[in-house]
Amino acid sequence: MGSVFSHHNTNADRSAGDRRRHKQKIEKAIKEGVHDIVAEESIIGQDGKKKIRIPVKGIKEYRFVYGSNSGQKAGSGGDADVQKGKKFAKGKKKRKGKPGRAGNEKGEEYYEVEVTLEELTEYLFKDLNLPELEKKRMKEIMSQEYRRKGYRNEGIRPRLSKKETAKRRIKRKKAAERAGTYDPESGEDFGYIENDLRYKHIKVDTKYATNACIFFVMDVSGSMSREKKYLARSFFFLLYHFIRSKYEKTEIVFVAHDTQPYEVDEDKFFNRGSSGGTLVSPALEYVLEQAEKRFNPRSWNVYTFHCSDGDNWMSDMQKAVEASNRLKEMCQFYGYCEIEPSQNDSLTWMNEDGGLSKVYGWMEDEKFKVVRITKKNDVWDAFKKFFGGKL
Amino acid sequence: MSDWGLKDLTAWDDRICAIAKNHGLDWYPITYETCDYFEMLGNMSYHGMPTHYGHWSYGKSFEVQRQQYQAGMTGLPYELIINSNPCISYLMKENPLHLQILIMAHCVGHSDFFKNNRSFAFTRADTVVPRMRNAKKRIQSYIEDPSIGIEAVEAVIDSAHALSYQVPRFPCEIEDLLEKRKAWMDFHKENLDSGKMSEDQYNKLPQEPEYDILGFIGQHARKMKDWERDIIEIIRDEAYYFMPQIRTKTMNEGWACFWHYKILHELDLPQEYHIPFLKSHNQVVRPHVGSMNPYHLGFYLFNKIEERHGIEECFLARDVHHDESFIRQYLTQEDCEELNLFSFNDNPDTIEITEVSDEEGWKHVKNILLGQIGGNSIPRIYVDDVDEDVLILHHEHDGARDLEISHATKVIQHTMELWKNEVKLITIVDDAPYEI
Repeated sequence: MGSVFSHHNTNADRSAGDRRRHKQKIEKAIKEGVHDIVAEESIIGQDGKKKIRIPVKGIKEYRFVYGSNSGQKAGSGGDADVQKGKKFAKGKKKRKGKPGRAGNEKGEEYYEVEVTLEELTEYLFKDLNLPELEKKRMKEIMSQEYRRKGYRNEGIRPRLSKKETAKRRIKRKKAAERAGTYDPESGEDFGYIENDLRYKHIKVDTKYATNACIFFVMDVSGSMSREKKYLARSFFFLLYHFIRSKYEKTEIVFVAHDTQPYEVDEDKFFNRGSSGGTLVSPALEYVLEQAEKRFNPRSWNVYTFHCSDGDNWMSDMQKAVEASNRLKEMCQFYGYCEIEPSQNDSLTWMNEDGGLSKVYGWMEDEKFKVVRITKKNDVWDAFKKFFGGKL
Repeated sequence: MSDWGLKDLTAWDDRICAIAKNHGLDWYPITYETCDYFEMLGNMSYHGMPTHYGHWSYGKSFEVQRQQYQAGMTGLPYELIINSNPCISYLMKENPLHLQILIMAHCVGHSDFFKNNRSFAFTRADTVVPRMRNAKKRIQSYIEDPSIGIEAVEAVIDSAHALSYQVPRFPCEIEDLLEKRKAWMDFHKENLDSGKMSEDQYNKLPQEPEYDILGFIGQHARKMKDWERDIIEIIRDEAYYFMPQIRTKTMNEGWACFWHYKILHELDLPQEYHIPFLKSHNQVVRPHVGSMNPYHLGFYLFNKIEERHGIEECFLARDVHHDESFIRQYLTQEDCEELNLFSFNDNPDTIEITEVSDEEGWKHVKNILLGQIGGNSIPRIYVDDVDEDVLILHHEHDGARDLEISHATKVIQHTMELWKNEVKLITIVDDAPYEI
């Protein structure tokens, strides 16, 4: 009785569908987990290559398992000299960190995906677009850019990257050695296979040679707690990277305010404690004035985002509305974000008869939007409300 | 790239089969399919099943394996064979001929084990391939059903997978639990009437601890829709099918290595294949320091059994044992010493050896080994009671190992999704009762 032989003729890439589904899940999880990453990162001065670890929830599969800290294990010693009571330090090798995943063991609810800032922006923003509003003059100047962008498995011959291809083969060879399927001393030729080939990838980018400037305005008065600032920071981070990904050049101005506006650097913006009351209109006036003076709003795309907890002196409300109306006229987009952590706050009484968001509510249109954030998970939804309206 | 054609494979296979037959092996015929490494990875993700329902977790498993392979952390397995009649096995095109010969000889061992070991008696190897194909069709139809859709189907599979190892360990047929309950009630009717058994006792659900959690939920959950029950049955069926492989991993691999090695010596391979064959063999059965390589332990033990009790005893062991009973019966102090087995505490930064295989330590080491072999690395959970529609699960604590609570909590959440009501798990953590 012999066996039967046949060439495998099922669908060659049978797991493609399930892989796609898995990837969708990761992307979704990244979007949901984004508030956890962003708040830790500084907003500007990163070059897009920096790696960010994103904790991804829920992609893990759970079963009943024993805890890592309970019970002993048994193993064979090979030729090693094992003695009772002896201790070994675990070498780094023991940590089976997989590329792109945290090497952590059981009990961890997250598994981490490492992406670069560039990839992250792509993940997050590929479906979102800037509101199609009036076009600024400079926008019409387009430029085409050829950029090298990584390597691909397929390509045309002239773009074959010999170096990358050779690296792949060496990797595979080392893998085979370790797995024992190839013996380097045997003198056998370890040839290239199709899968080793790597081609340089060229991407054509059409870019609007345009500039954007962003005014981040934040209330730093006594009522803005650390927690609120933390939420604001996450939100600003998203906004900055989103806008940056759409423009050639992006300038940021940080304007902190209590009763007075102050132009500060990023660090001071988020960390500077302040006390005292809140007046919104002077800060908005300041933005109007600076935008006019430093960036010509007719050729620059001006964005203004204002985060506050909604407090404002009643007497200033009318002025704030007027200033906001003018800002709306000047900006490509003007967003107001009210942050109020859900926990009890001694100052919430002020909002009862209407914080800024209520006063602003009726002004909303496609150039001016108002969102409220009460917890971390709202950050992404709020962001989508600003720029995802057409989804 | 490869130094062989189908003709070579057929020729060597004929000789392998002749030798195996001579030794009294009795196996399911084998169908070998050749594939490239990419297809191999694909097949591995689905446990080698020619058709299998789709689920994102298999996509993930593919990605993980590909990443590991490409980073050089693991080689691909030499063989992938499924317990079916005929057996289906995959041969990677990239492998050289000596490796294919080794794999074919190895697969004969596996196939013989599938056919004869008691643990596999109820796996219905004749129908597993059509069963899986059918399951795939059914799940696909639920996904395409506009009133159900992929999100809902995935949620049920996610939850059912969380419980998929929670089926009885011992070989048994998949029972209809409703009928089982009825039979029990008929049987105990007398006791009820004569007052030996109280009404509560008689009507308790389940009457006895039920280890088949998926089956129990699938058949007793009240608000479950038919398609949900069907998916649970599919996953339950697969769990029953795979449990014997979990329980006999060491024996199964040991038996296959034992035979490919024996066959090698009678194959009369030309030198150019013989030496690489031996090298590959040594790679496969080498000890992994600090853990247990099932190929190593199984191969070692079958050789020792032959040495001590003769080949007949090997065949007997192949028929009746599973890993735990196999090791319990055959692993001696001498073996533990020779294998240099030890037990250790796996601390976060250090490994601390607790016992070695000397006069006083070897029994301890063996016991620890028994606790991690076969299905024993999976905690045992059973359905204890249903109290006002609250499902109460019990963890059978082995006295040493606590559950990983963060995982258990997730599993209980998944169980609640299926049961559609509250679920409780009672276990012990740090020697104190614990409830989730």
